[in-house]
Amino acid sequence: MKQYSNLRLKIFTIIATLVGGVIAFKLINIQILRHYDYLKMAERNRTQIFYQTAPRGNIFTSDGYAIASNEPSFSFYYLSVGKKDQIYLEQMARDFSGSLHMEVPEVLEKLKLGAKTGKAIEVANNLSPKDTVALRELQLYYPEVYLLESTKRYYPYDSFASHLVGYLGDFGETEWRQRSSYEGYRLNSKLGKSGIEKKFEKELKGTDGGVFLEVDYLGRAKKIMEDKPWVAGQDIYLTINFDVQQAAEIGLKKSKTGRGAAVAIDPRTGAVLALASAPDYDLNQFVSYRKGKEKKTFKKINEYNLAVQGIYPPASTFKVITAAAALEKKILDVNRKINCTGKYDAGSRIFKCWGVHGPVDFYEGMSNSCDVYFYAIASQLGPFSIEKIEREFMFGRRTGIDLQGEKSGNLYGPTRRARNRSYWFIGDTLNLSIGQGELLVTPIKVAQFAAALASRGNVYKPYYIDKIVNPTTGKEQKIGQTEILHHANLKPETFDLLFKALKYTVDKGTARRVKIPGYNVYGKTGTAQNPHGPDHGWFMSFAGKEGEEPSIALAVFVEFGEGGSTAAGPIAQSMLEAYFGIKNREKNDI
Amino acid sequence: MIFRKSNSLTKNKIDMLLLLAMLGIILIGALCIMSAASNVSWHNSVVRTHLIALPLGFAAFFSGWSINYQIYNEQWKKIYAVALALLIGVLLFGAYQRGSRSWFVLPFFSMQPSEICRIFTILVVAAFLDRKKREIQSISTLFKTGLVVLPIFGLIMLQPDFSSIVVTLPALFVLLFCSGARLLYFLLICLFGGVAGGFVLAWTYLSVHPELLSNAFLNIIYTLPQNFLHIGIFVFIVCLLTYAIWWINRQLYLGFPSVYFALVAFVIILGFVGGVVVEKKMKPHQRKRVETFLSPMADPHGAGYNVLQAQIAMGSGGFLGKGLFSGTQSRLGFVPEKHTDFILAVVGEELGLVGTLGVLALYLLILWRVALIAYLSSDYYGYLVCSGLVGMFFTYMCVNFGMLIGFVPVAGIPLPFISYGGSNLVASLWALGIVQSVYARRLSV
Repeated sequence: MKQYSNLRLKIFTIIATLVGGVIAFKLINIQILRHYDYLKMAERNRTQIFYQTAPRGNIFTSDGYAIASNEPSFSFYYLSVGKKDQIYLEQMARDFSGSLHMEVPEVLEKLKLGAKTGKAIEVANNLSPKDTVALRELQLYYPEVYLLESTKRYYPYDSFASHLVGYLGDFGETEWRQRSSYEGYRLNSKLGKSGIEKKFEKELKGTDGGVFLEVDYLGRAKKIMEDKPWVAGQDIYLTINFDVQQAAEIGLKKSKTGRGAAVAIDPRTGAVLALASAPDYDLNQFVSYRKGKEKKTFKKINEYNLAVQGIYPPASTFKVITAAAALEKKILDVNRKINCTGKYDAGSRIFKCWGVHGPVDFYEGMSNSCDVYFYAIASQLGPFSIEKIEREFMFGRRTGIDLQGEKSGNLYGPTRRARNRSYWFIGDTLNLSIGQGELLVTPIKVAQFAAALASRGNVYKPYYIDKIVNPTTGKEQKIGQTEILHHANLKPETFDLLFKALKYTVDKGTARRVKIPGYNVYGKTGTAQNPHGPDHGWFMSFAGKEGEEPSIALAVFVEFGEGGSTAAGPIAQSMLEAYFGIKNREKNDI
Repeated sequence: MIFRKSNSLTKNKIDMLLLLAMLGIILIGALCIMSAASNVSWHNSVVRTHLIALPLGFAAFFSGWSINYQIYNEQWKKIYAVALALLIGVLLFGAYQRGSRSWFVLPFFSMQPSEICRIFTILVVAAFLDRKKREIQSISTLFKTGLVVLPIFGLIMLQPDFSSIVVTLPALFVLLFCSGARLLYFLLICLFGGVAGGFVLAWTYLSVHPELLSNAFLNIIYTLPQNFLHIGIFVFIVCLLTYAIWWINRQLYLGFPSVYFALVAFVIILGFVGGVVVEKKMKPHQRKRVETFLSPMADPHGAGYNVLQAQIAMGSGGFLGKGLFSGTQSRLGFVPEKHTDFILAVVGEELGLVGTLGVLALYLLILWRVALIAYLSSDYYGYLVCSGLVGMFFTYMCVNFGMLIGFVPVAGIPLPFISYGGSNLVASLWALGIVQSVYARRLSV
């Protein structure tokens, strides 16, 4: 028997085994359970990525103009090898500062940092191809600088369809929290802030490429692991017709006040051919190249989209509804003449006409937009019939176009008034008949109404995005499609007579301006009385080739434009001419 | 049963299992050192040194195995003298490197005498205790043992080589524990260590988290070491409390000897004073290590960086690892001291969990075999030497693995057989040779 205790040795061995077990558990925890976290950290440790922003998807008009595309942008890197003395770096900074649009000390500071750490340093980014010409030449003398190509958004027509396209911007804090969850964004990525750019951000954004460098613990590049090419974003095709849109935009800009909206819709499908809103804004101001030291001062962004957000009385364009109601109720004898003396006695109050028209029949009443004529038939008709037709064409409702902040306007009529527990007077009927009073519409509503007339009753939900096309696979995804919200159930004769009256208005009346030989053009002007200033000008029209269905319906609105014919007419004219390809006017380029 | 008796009846001259475990772990170590050093500028010198150290180490192993270990028992005074001479010599002639004077630099190689002195210390203490085995339970033996190791530790502290102490002290503790010294003394030592260490950790923790100081009690604790008045009040309160408990004990006739109370009070006060001394004497980098250990994420780019990067290396290795020579964390220099103190991180990254568990298993195998050989040894001296060595290897294992998994502060201690370091390899192999020598002579009386 041994003379010493070995119980303690056994106790110790057990303790050692237990400690070994604890270590093993902890090792399994680190190496198996938390393996992927650590693997990610290890990868992040060793990779330095120089990203190359992928081109965003192009945005095309229906006739193939790219209204949003991309252009090359360059980043300038310095990776120190060899000489790094002060004099050399200073010389280098002086040589480069001009082309980089940076001050010499600023460049020198970055170069010094690069020389000290041995890391690849991004000296400047967002350089234009013009700048790189000089830089490439300097590259011959300084082999340690690199130019990395990337892309940036470019809008060839600056403010073209700016309210539809929307603009790009930098990440805000909340957006970063929302978006960082899905991959592919970096803090200096640009993303869509409004319009199509925002709505189709996911589709438009491609996958950024980049040069993946393996770096050591000091950040020194060891080798290039991967040169990942970018994947371009998907292209978006709009239903917008470039010429019509351009005509509308030029017209609005040249109009009296420069404030207004023009909307054209294809009455066969409900596709928007043009949607212009003035004032607009330059899309390129958010994505321009690096330019010297001056601080970027953005022009004021006029995000207010008058075409869908502005609400105004429809004025005389509404007389079509009144006429339709009368025709539906068959109380209107189109040949009966009513004498316009310039005023209408409603008993308690005298209502004035905008002129003295003498005896007018239906066609003359419409073409001259004689208020007295419509007062007369409205007082015979009563307000309920007018409101019924008004509801048939869905006044007071949003058109449902996929644009932010659309207003619904305001329905005006006795039942609507009754809901507000208020009285309806004869004066209200008369005001309603000529589209004044509480009735409020947006320009796009009027365009929708014009399209509904042109299509004999189809109230469309307008759409402006046709399809999304993947440029690499060629796969198409249809986005917008014809959607009839409601069919205005009017008799065919009513439409026949309305068409005749509206054509008469173009041929002989207030809308003479838009008369185009060889085409059936229908139109109605409107001048909305504005108690706060000059009147607003309206123009509603639809047209088609002779012997064919109308293929374009439009509404033009010029705020404070005074006359519908004088202010809005020329714009409608140039839009129609652009649509039908008539080039008898001088070409204006934006 | 942990130890099977049948082993003692066979007449093997060498424990094959221990030998195989040793060879296996040396192989893993050599591969990992080569991989870890594959892209550092002094790569050739690392590999060359290791290739020179290996045959030297095997020579030490064979000499340890073939020489009768009982000679160390007889000649313990000479070993003691050699150890002291080496430590004095290194203080006089050693090269001053990285803040300590612990290397002999000779034209062809350099050596670290404190590595071999760890083994010497165990041999000497074992021999001393062998002579005192009849009075092993008395407290005077404990104090005399302390007096024996004091010069060695004093000289090591003069270098200073903190990590040598960290390894040798627990080894001696295990040695004393296995020798059969009274448990009461161990409890007192533990109490001392607990009080001293606990206070140091608490103060450091509070200094890292000053927001906790709004708590009045913690604030009092934090201000304890700051002046003598506070220290005096603490001592007084401890004495008062002890007296009160002693008084209750006497009134209730519980019968605990009075001397225990005095001892406990004394040890607590001693521990507290020791803690205060450590707190005052701790060097900034050591304090940083303790702080990092207490809150590793507080400063991921500073002191916590090393441990974090080592953990990333291990964690990214996964089950099977990234393969030898292809660990990114170690190859690109994210893991610090990758071929010495943090070699396990390289093992974990390149060989995965299989590698780390393999090393752990081999280590446990070695511990078990050494403990078994202690049990089998024919005399008390062999038993003591082996239990001292098992304590030493156990400490190495705990500190190295513990450091990586965040259980132990970073101490800068190599892992024998795996880490790069010639002196350590030679000394460790010699230690295993001695163990084999004990095994070979287990049947002689």
